[in-house]
Order: sequence, then structure tokens, then C-alpha cells
Amino acid sequence: MFAYIIRRVIATIPVMAVVALFVFSLLYIAPGDPAAVIAGDQATPQDVERIRQSLGLDRPFLVRFGEWVWNILNGDMGVSIFTNLPVTTMIKQRVEPTLSLMVLTLILAVSIAVPMGVVAAWKHGTWVDRCVMGFAVLGFSVPVFVVGYVLAYVFALELDWLPVQGYTAFKEGFFPWLRNLVLPAIALGGVYIALIARITRATMLEVLQQDYIRTAKAKGVDQRSILFLHALKNAAVPIVTVIGIGMALLIGGAVVTESVFAIPGLGRLTVDAILRRDYPVIQGVVLLFSFIYVLVNLLIDLLYTLFDPRIRY
Amino acid sequence: MSTATIEQRAAIAAPLPDVLPAIKPRRGFIGYLRKNPTIAIGGFLLLLMLFVAVAAPLLWTVDPTALAPARRTREPSAMYWFGSDMLGRDVYSRVLYGARVSMLVGFSVAVLASIIGLTIGLTSGFVRWADALVMRVMDGMMSIPPILLAIALMALTRGSVQNVIIAITIAEIPRVSRLVRGVVLSLREQPYVDAAVACGTRTPVIIWRHILPNTLAPITVQATYICASAMITEAILSFIGAGTPPIIPSWGNIMAEGRALWQVKPYIVFFPAIFLSVTVLAVNLLGDGLRDALDPRMAKRL
Repeated sequence: MFAYIIRRVIATIPVMAVVALFVFSLLYIAPGDPAAVIAGDQATPQDVERIRQSLGLDRPFLVRFGEWVWNILNGDMGVSIFTNLPVTTMIKQRVEPTLSLMVLTLILAVSIAVPMGVVAAWKHGTWVDRCVMGFAVLGFSVPVFVVGYVLAYVFALELDWLPVQGYTAFKEGFFPWLRNLVLPAIALGGVYIALIARITRATMLEVLQQDYIRTAKAKGVDQRSILFLHALKNAAVPIVTVIGIGMALLIGGAVVTESVFAIPGLGRLTVDAILRRDYPVIQGVVLLFSFIYVLVNLLIDLLYTLFDPRIRY
Repeated sequence: MSTATIEQRAAIAAPLPDVLPAIKPRRGFIGYLRKNPTIAIGGFLLLLMLFVAVAAPLLWTVDPTALAPARRTREPSAMYWFGSDMLGRDVYSRVLYGARVSMLVGFSVAVLASIIGLTIGLTSGFVRWADALVMRVMDGMMSIPPILLAIALMALTRGSVQNVIIAITIAEIPRVSRLVRGVVLSLREQPYVDAAVACGTRTPVIIWRHILPNTLAPITVQATYICASAMITEAILSFIGAGTPPIIPSWGNIMAEGRALWQVKPYIVFFPAIFLSVTVLAVNLLGDGLRDALDPRMAKRL
């Protein structure tokens, strides 16, 4: 087991290396000369050259890449072109809203989608099943910002139940925090719910055909125990895998959701950075999100034994 | 042993068809569509949208970029079917012309990503030394969430429809490559491929004649899903200001422009939103239908 963990962690290193190389190349081939930007409009070519040398921009690609990786490992992601603040500081300021949104969405989505998938599999072929599958197709088709605007229009503008937009920090109380995040979380969760519900249904359908389910039925185990104890437990591995892979949808969707609901998180930071062409910030955010994504999927890989003791390493 | 002869048994069995007349399955194209309603509905909606995109100039539209500041933010009416935006442009015309961008991006990305993904997948499925390298690169690209990858690429270039297509295609390639590689690896183990090898068939011929045709069904299904996701990604990119330039009326752009006013004039956002959702729904339905029709094994799983 321990050897497996080590092997699995080592296997993520080449993946992260490719991500790092890609993200670094982004800055390297980015149009516009950072030295010229820093030097300003009044600078002479000599000034620009001097700044270029002082920044080390005249050195070869691999040297700069190595140094960049070394800096990141030491917690230095460079300085924003626009605000002159270190990128790590800017990310730290914005991390809470995004983390809140994603955790809430994750909890909400899993607790809605898994029962939905289970019921659909149980009532296979009936109108319940068809409703769930129909919802899943809709979830895949209606983009996150469309769901966001419809929800905000109905529940915030027309019914006035929830705030239209904005964010309240967690330390100012749980309910104000939740009130602001409910709509964004539902909007962001749409695709995710569709994905998880579909996989849950598909896996459950397969598991429900197994002999041990028939045995359980024959000996009179009640329906709920069969579904949630016997079947769901055996369907857990694919479901958990898709929850991990679906994190990519969550991350991409967060960027948009934060724009719709004016949440000052990492997504807003990304959008602002794009509009200002603030490459160090774009780099930092892409790297951070990818790192989180890889880490989550690594954790899930390691958790498999928990759900299925037959898997041994 | 029974004493009845075959003829006697046949005589007993014969009346059955008269009692239960055989149900004649409808054949041909119509029958196929009736058997696969999702393909019919999805295909119909998609054709409708395609018609709207192509025939936009004929459908009582005006110049989608014509400004009329005096008549800005009009509610939907007989003159402005979908209202007018804050610069007085006709939202109806803009939404109809927006279908062109969405269709162009969706189909181009689906075709390009499929072709490139097919090439990469076939290569890494057949060339051992390339496989490890290519798949590590694909793993790395896949660990960047696709929308972020497209955003990052768009940050490098000027906003144009062409660049949006390239950015989304690059973001979609890893998934197609993985799919094709998986199919190729399982096909390689098939007895008929062994037989072809034993007959001395050269590798390019095996790929062309035995492997490629078998990858077409999963690729087609995948391509429809890519098309749907590319349409959404294009709208998202334009919506956050990293997509098509504002001068081009795309659904994402119209929504981005309507954003500032959406609490008072929600229709500017909602009309393109409805068109986008219906189009993506049509493509997804078509994909689901094709999947069920082309790959019954997958249909059971999903």
C-alpha cells in the first residue's frame, strides 16, 4: 500500500512537469515585451535593454524555465504586471470565495446527484428514470451562465428571496455566507449534477443485475438497504472517479459563475487578468487550478481501497 | 419418441401467423428516425438552427451592427422583435447572425479535433516508443481544465473566430486522442487483426482497412459532444471577454454586452441564452441518439 502511494505520487510528477512547461511557455511566447511594459512609454531602447537584462529575460529558455520552477517551489509566482503585487498575495486574497463556492457546490451536487441516479436506476424505464435522464441532458446543454441568470432573475429579482450578487465572508456568519452562495452553487452544480447522476445511474444499473442483489432481495432485505448499502457501495468506485474528473467542469464553471454573481474570487481574478493581459497572474491561476485538479484526482485514486477492499496494491 | 411427422407438426404450427399477424417494422429513413426519436428531435432542431444561421439575411433581419442610439434599450415589440440593446442594435438580427458564429465554431472544432485526435491516437496506439511520450503530454494537457486552457491560449492571441477555434481545438484534442488510443489498443488484440498480420498485410493497410473503420463510430459520437462543448466554450470565452471580438455578433458577446443592464433589461441576455441552450441541447440529443444507435454496448453503460 505504502509503496503504491509513493509510486502514484511519483507518477504525477511528469504530469505536473508538462503542465508547468506549458504554463511557462505561455509567458515565454506571450506577445508584448514585459521589459517594454515595465519601462513605460518614455523609455529609450537602452532602458528597455537594461531592464530586460536585469529581469534576466535575455537568457535561454531552459535556464529561465528551471529558475521559474525553482521560484514556484519556493512560493514565488512572480509579480503582477498590473498591480505590482506578488501573484501569491493576490491569489491568497481571492482564494476564500472560490473555495467556498466549490466546496458548497461539491456537497450540494453529490447529495442531489447520487440519490437521483440511484432512484433512476431503481425505477429503470419508468417516468422517474426518464425525468432524471432528461434533466441530465438539460444539465449538459444549458450553460452555467444561463442557469445563473435565470436563477438570479427568478429568486433574486422577482421573488427577492436571495441577494442578486456579491459575497459575504464566512467569518461574518454562516447564514449570510450561505445566502450569497446558494444560487451560484446551484448554477455551477448543474452540469456536475448531470454528470454524476448519469454515471451513478449507469453503474447502479449494472450492479443491480448482480447475483448478490438477487440474493439480498430473496432473503428479504428491504429496498432501501439493498439500494444504498449493497448496491451503492459496490458502485462507489466509478462514481467517485467521475466526481474527481468532473472537478475540471467545476473549475472552468467557477470562472464564469463568479462573473455572473460578482463574487470576488479566483475566477474574477482570472477574467480581470485576461482583460489586462496580466500574464504572471494568468500563469499563477492556471497553475494553481491544475495543481488542485491533479491533487484531488490523486487523492481519489488513493481512496479507492476505502470503497473497494478488493483493490489491493 | 413422438409419432408425429414434421408435416403434422407444421400443420399444427401453421395457423399461428394468422392469429398473430407479424408486425412489419418500418424500414428506411423514416423507420430509423421513429426507432431513434432522440436523433429525430436533435437532428430537426439542429437543422432548424443551421437554417437560421445560413438564411439569417433572409429572415427579416437588419444589419446586426447598425447603431441607432436614439432607439436604444427598446422592449421587444413589433419593430424590435427581441428588443434593442444599449446601442440601439436589433437584438433579433444579432441573435440570428450569432447562430453563424456558434455553428462555425462548433462544427470546425468537432472536425479539427477529431482529425487531429484520430491521427495522434492512431500513432500512439501503433508506435510503441511514441505512445509513452505522447500520452504523458496528453495527461499533462488534460490536467489543465479545458476552459482554463482555452482561456490561457486566448490570452496569447488577438480575439478572432479563427483563434477561438484553434484554442478550443487544442483544449479538446487530449480527450479524443485518449479515446482513439483506447479503441486502437483493444482492436489490435482482435483475431481478425492477428489474421491480417499472419497474412502479411502491411501495417498501413491494417490501419486503413481494419482499424480506422472501427474507430469511426466512437469518433462520430465523440465529435457531436465536442461540438456541443465547443459551442458552450465559445460562448463562455466571448462572455468573459476572451473570445470573438465585440464587433462580431456572437451569442456570448450579446450576453456580455447585456450583462451591465440585465437587471432592468433581462431580454438582451435571455434571447441569446435560449438560442444557445436549444442549439447545444439539439447537438447533445443527436449525440445521445447516435451513441445508442452506433454503440449498443456504450448505451447500456451510460
